[in-house]
Amino acid sequence: MPSLLRRLSPATAAPEEQSVRPDAVATALDPVPAYCDVVDGHVHDVIAQTDEAATAIIQQLVKVDSLAEVMAGDVAQLAGTLGRTETELSQVSSSNDQLVGRLISYFLHRDQQIRALVDQMRELDQHVKQIEEVSRATNILALNAMIEAVRAGEAGEGFSVVADEVRKLAHRSAEAAHGIGSSIGDLTARLDAVLSDDSQFDREQEIPQTNEETAMTRRLGGIANAQREMSELVAGILKDTVNAADQVQRSSAALTTETTGAVGHVQFQDITRQMLEHVAEAVVDVRRQSEDVVAYARGGLTEEELMSRVISVEALRAKHVMSRQRSTHAAQTGGPAHADAEPLIELF
Amino acid sequence: MTTVMLVDDSATMLMSLKAILTKAGYAVETAGHGKEALDKLGKGVKPNLIISDVNMPQMDGITFAREARKAPGMRFTPILMLTTESEATKRAEAKAAGATGWLVKPVGPDQLLGVIKQVLPGA
Repeated sequence: MPSLLRRLSPATAAPEEQSVRPDAVATALDPVPAYCDVVDGHVHDVIAQTDEAATAIIQQLVKVDSLAEVMAGDVAQLAGTLGRTETELSQVSSSNDQLVGRLISYFLHRDQQIRALVDQMRELDQHVKQIEEVSRATNILALNAMIEAVRAGEAGEGFSVVADEVRKLAHRSAEAAHGIGSSIGDLTARLDAVLSDDSQFDREQEIPQTNEETAMTRRLGGIANAQREMSELVAGILKDTVNAADQVQRSSAALTTETTGAVGHVQFQDITRQMLEHVAEAVVDVRRQSEDVVAYARGGLTEEELMSRVISVEALRAKHVMSRQRSTHAAQTGGPAHADAEPLIELF
Repeated sequence: MTTVMLVDDSATMLMSLKAILTKAGYAVETAGHGKEALDKLGKGVKPNLIISDVNMPQMDGITFAREARKAPGMRFTPILMLTTESEATKRAEAKAAGATGWLVKPVGPDQLLGVIKQVLPGA
């Protein structure tokens, strides 16, 4: 028994005169199982913690991804609505422009007709003045006729009556012509005022005037300009908002791509878990071997039984499943580095 | 909808892969080991694709692939092994058992979805 213990611990082999004390070896190894249990407990605690953390990370990422998708959907809906509003606003603006254009054309045409009417009425005024002239001349003729009738004496009495009636008719004609002239003057003045009304509104708006324009057409032009400016302003705001919505959509899409990638990276936990489980298995092997040595030292195990269960670094290597584990193993033992020739992805 | 069955003893892996595949538009069935997956196939679950781990308790992935091929309607269903195992002999065993491909963890979402498109061109 002592010779085997010496073989198992060559570095600490005692000089010939120093006797090996199996009880001391067994006592020294007694704490190893408990020690290994604690290490094993820590390893499994790390596995549990990383598992818990990885699960939480995935849940959070899925939630972020879900929120990003909802946000992208909402923003897409908003962008669609804004886009439609922009189109409708453009159509309404165009329609308003056309309507105002038609109104301006209508009023220009109406104003031209009024001007023509005023011109015709002014021509009537000339005719009225001619009638007044004729009335005056007729009145003079009637007066002359009456003078001649008086000279003719009794023979001219009848003629005198006719001359007086002619004078009265001339007088009435002059009065009627004057009345017509006044009415025409009044009407033309009112129509002129309608055409050239220069209200406070126009002055405030500072709308340039052309010969063809009237107050109404200038007002309509002003309304059209104001409406066009407002439409352009709102369209600009809508366009900026749509652009911002597009940007948010692109950001959301990028965010969901990132979260998916991050979810993929959480595979590290599964790889780490397996590596730690192999460490834990190795600790169990050490534990068992320490128990075996204690049992051998105390006579509970034969040398053959002990030697058949001795752990080896090569056996540990055979348990590795990952290329990384084999590389680490080689680095620690000084053995040849293992490089996998197989591709990481292979379709058979 | 194309259904993918995920077989892995790691809840983290199942959750991670399910999130990636669901987002890509696939329906997902999960099982914690080969035996559970085989039970599901026996109960009429008919996935269009199986992605299985190799080292699992109760029934490992290679045995599962071999048994799954015997299930009705599963003769030509693609079976991808997704594992940390890099040993060439294991890969050869999986191929002999009827696996369609071998993917070593970790596999990025784009890589995984690319392989799925290769084995399920119409999906």
